[in-house]
Amino acid sequence: MKRPAAVKELIEELKRLPGIGQKTAERLSFYLMRGEKERVENLARTILNIKEKVILCTNCHGITEIDPCDICQDPKRDHNLICVVEEPYDVYVIENMGDYRGEYHVLMGVISPLDGIGPQDLTTEDLKAKVGRNGTREVILATNPDMEGESTAIYIARMLKGAEVKVTRIARGLPVGGDIEYADPVTLKKSMEGRMEIET
Amino acid sequence: MPLYKTQAIVLKSMKLSEKDKLVTFLTETHGKVKCVAKAARRLKSRFGASLEPMSHVSLIYFGKEHQDLYRLNQCDIIQSFQDIKENPDTYYTAVYFLELAGHFIAEDHPEPEIFHLLVRSLREAGNTDSSGTLCRLFELRIMAHAGYTPRLQKCIVCHKEPKSLWVGFSYSQHGIVCEPCFDKEPVEMRIKSGTVNYLKKFLSLNLNHIRRLKIPKDVELEIESITHRLVLARLGRELKSYPFIRQMAEMTRT
Ligand SMILES: [Zn+2]
Ligand SMILES: [Zn+2]
Repeated sequence: MKRPAAVKELIEELKRLPGIGQKTAERLSFYLMRGEKERVENLARTILNIKEKVILCTNCHGITEIDPCDICQDPKRDHNLICVVEEPYDVYVIENMGDYRGEYHVLMGVISPLDGIGPQDLTTEDLKAKVGRNGTREVILATNPDMEGESTAIYIARMLKGAEVKVTRIARGLPVGGDIEYADPVTLKKSMEGRMEIET
Repeated sequence: MPLYKTQAIVLKSMKLSEKDKLVTFLTETHGKVKCVAKAARRLKSRFGASLEPMSHVSLIYFGKEHQDLYRLNQCDIIQSFQDIKENPDTYYTAVYFLELAGHFIAEDHPEPEIFHLLVRSLREAGNTDSSGTLCRLFELRIMAHAGYTPRLQKCIVCHKEPKSLWVGFSYSQHGIVCEPCFDKEPVEMRIKSGTVNYLKKFLSLNLNHIRRLKIPKDVELEIESITHRLVLARLGRELKSYPFIRQMAEMTRT
């Protein structure tokens, strides 16, 4: 039996989503077909909503429904402390930890010379202006500890040289629950460099 | 299924799925090789930092012969070049080396000479203050290994050794033209014969000795316009990472 064009189209669209292959896309589309119309309408509306209602905060470039976002507006947070991350999603990851009380700055990517992505494609200039304007005390560079994230961190550190601000980099090294026996030399070296005194 | 064991430089590392990575290697013995690294995105992955671009690694992979995608079995770091990556003055030059080598090493086409040039140049990048000179040497050498050595000994028209202070360079004919022959062969550029001597030296120099090479600034600029244009003429376009080297140098100056 041939599949109706509408079903095929849905499968193709679903397959574009991260982590969804042919099989999953088929399962989802047949599930939606069988389900109540109301549920499907609800789903379609909520999907549209994220495009219509969700915007980027003009201060931190994080995703929000109000501008500036609730983190940037929160008087209880420390606005002289900025945590720099690659993607809007990273804000949620750090917020989930629950311990961080500063604000954020989303770069909207990383410097990647092999892909032709340079600092001018990111929000780096914005960060520089913000730091100069607000009397920021500390900038925490929380880009990924891979080659692109590392070089982006170094770029920003150099960019902020001369501004009166402390620039720190999140620790790199062994993951909690890891095992020294299986750690590679680069990770081990980073753990040694980033060692801290134990308070007794 | 055959198992392959070789050494390589990691060219690219991409997310493939929630757990896996797709890694492109420039290998010594099998040219460009793409491998799936299972569970490499896990925090406790057995591959650790070995799949980071630019790393010099020894690897074991398997799969059917001449297929597009292999499965990575083991990958160990020989040299991570972490110092290069953490220095903006050398990082962009090294990324340019990677990109350029990636253009000349194709899948299933081993280019051991280019591979070793890449490894040695990365090692040297961490030691030298003059990454500019190293960059010129790399460009010229990689062209030579790929079969595009410019003809620098004799004039491409009259086949005599030029005696004049100035010589011409023809990109279309890939060599030098002596002054008396300028009317017979259009030259795109005039350079000092001293510059030609440096180019010759670049082709034969042991990479370890690059630190001892002191090149006058004007000569270096002439050399750059030649070697980089040779690359452009060959590839037909600018490489993505090249403008970054300039941008970074300007930022350091200000
Ligand atoms: Zn915000
Ligand atoms: Zn001649």
